[in-house]
Amino acid sequence: MAGCTTTKVKSAAPAMIVQAAPDSKGLLIQPDVQLSLVTASGMHAVRADWSQAAQANLAAAIANDLKGRSHPFEVMDPAASMEGRTGQLLRLNEVVGQSIFIFEYGKPKLPTKKKKFDWTLGEGTQVLRAQTGADYALFVTCRGTYATAGRKLFSFGAMFLLMDVPLGQQKVQASLVDLRTGRLVWFNVATAGSGTDIRTPDGARDLTHSLLKGLPF
Amino acid sequence: MIGWPYRAPRLFGAFVLTAVLASAGPPAWAAAPADLELRPPNLKPAPKSVEAGMWDDSDRAEAHTRIAAELDTDPALQAYVRGVFCKIAADYCGEARVYVLDRPFLNATCFPNGYVEVWSGLLLRAQTEGQLAYVVGHEVSHFARNHSLSKWNHDKTTRDVATVLTVGVQAGAMFGMVKVAQSGAPNSRQMIDDISDMAQNLNDLIYLGAMAHIMAYSREHENEADRLGFQRAVAAGYEKSTGPDMWTGTIAESRASDFAAVRKADVRASIYRTHPLDQDRIDALKAQGGVVAAPDIDARKRYRAAIRGHLGSWLKDDLRRRDDGQTLFLIDRLSEVGEDFGVLQFYRGEAYRQRRHDGDAPLALAAYKTAVGYPDAPVAAWRELGEALRRAGDKPAAAEAFETYLAKAPDAEDRWLVEASLKTVKGA
Repeated sequence: MAGCTTTKVKSAAPAMIVQAAPDSKGLLIQPDVQLSLVTASGMHAVRADWSQAAQANLAAAIANDLKGRSHPFEVMDPAASMEGRTGQLLRLNEVVGQSIFIFEYGKPKLPTKKKKFDWTLGEGTQVLRAQTGADYALFVTCRGTYATAGRKLFSFGAMFLLMDVPLGQQKVQASLVDLRTGRLVWFNVATAGSGTDIRTPDGARDLTHSLLKGLPF
Repeated sequence: MIGWPYRAPRLFGAFVLTAVLASAGPPAWAAAPADLELRPPNLKPAPKSVEAGMWDDSDRAEAHTRIAAELDTDPALQAYVRGVFCKIAADYCGEARVYVLDRPFLNATCFPNGYVEVWSGLLLRAQTEGQLAYVVGHEVSHFARNHSLSKWNHDKTTRDVATVLTVGVQAGAMFGMVKVAQSGAPNSRQMIDDISDMAQNLNDLIYLGAMAHIMAYSREHENEADRLGFQRAVAAGYEKSTGPDMWTGTIAESRASDFAAVRKADVRASIYRTHPLDQDRIDALKAQGGVVAAPDIDARKRYRAAIRGHLGSWLKDDLRRRDDGQTLFLIDRLSEVGEDFGVLQFYRGEAYRQRRHDGDAPLALAAYKTAVGYPDAPVAAWRELGEALRRAGDKPAAAEAFETYLAKAPDAEDRWLVEASLKTVKGA
């Protein structure tokens, strides 16, 4: 049952991407993470301690990954920036991210977005650019569940009865936004493999490595 | 493959099982012991608990509310509603963060972390501070009794039991199917299909039973919160009619709806309802010493003074629900106080104008005409009066109304539009 971490990248058409100048600065919005446990019968319960651990681990791993790249970057804590236009952009990114998740990765397709990846936060993102001097912003959101021992046992036994009982799953999505145009130039969703536990620093590092592998920055 | 003979016993079985499960447990009013355990003030959940997870969710909801456009930022109103909360729940006053949200529906919520939402639709529908206090007391009681946590635990147990039963059915069916297959009987294929169908039906039944059991527990919580909220309201010095009056009001409002489904919604009892019927809530409160009496007019006037500044914007929001029958009902009831006729008549006109039933146009015109006779009429009343008169063909009166509007609101954003209307009625 062991699985590897899988990723699924979506990129804007090359014509829409303005190549990042070597000295262009990045803005890392601290990841938004919420993890839950899933009980034998499928009840979910948020685990604040897991969320906090994974959040800290992912934040450190992403910052570390970016340090290995050529661009300077700045870190922004969304909790401290929810006022005014910045807060509105963060929330806009949240709903745009949800829509991408549904319409690019799920079954329903929007008629206007069938052929190309064409999403934007609008030119309002220039506010963030003016405020921070960054040309690109990287957003990371993680939602996931972990099965309890009871759930794992049930799932295993249920196989013999031809019943499909899914275990926990953790998905991390990252989007790179060109702050000059608001366009989402790159988007990736990584699903953690069974050996990758983002509640540990090692797991978070592995997942971040897969998640940001093709980041054009 | 499922023939009709399997359907009938399945539905009947579901009915019997759900009825049994739904009625399991003591009756609602006897559910809680006399000395109910309330959560201590300033409780903090254990870090790894389910409760801590609920706090995490509530903290996120609160963070969104703090910057939400629908957050009402009037400090006087915030202070007033917070004051009512503290009167009714002095025990939790220190830890509560009370937010008024401009949402035109009757609702309030106390989240487990002390984040409290009071919706403007409740403030518009409460006739007195006592009624508001009763509803807030009801929500505080959910909080004080940790209902969200006990509901989670109850749901978990119920679903665990249902899961065990489902696995049992599935295992039995598998065993049966293997036996039939081994027997080599001539009709074994048909028998295997029958066993599979039966297992599926049984599992549906278990699911329905579990859902009914979960909903029954939710109604128990509502009954308990009604009772405790009523006790809090009475203890804080509010009339014994506040609880029953609140539900009498919601029944009357439901009946005034433009939509048949809304008018009928609250008379159908169901084992799948999350909340009890309003009439049952009234009866239960009467059993607790509640009385049904018209709210005191002085209490209504005092309450009106506290919400007066918001009356217009809340009615405007209420019109967006597009149930003009209910909005007109609310305006009638608000008018009983004998104040605010300028605002109320203007929105009566707006409701008729929006509804556009046969005969609504003259009713709207009459309401606007009445509105402008009162000093508290919003300036827009003259514009709408002008428009209604223009439609009715009374050009001179329409011109006068438009001119009054422009004189009273010289900097109005729609000045150019009204000037254009004025030109058409003047025949220029």
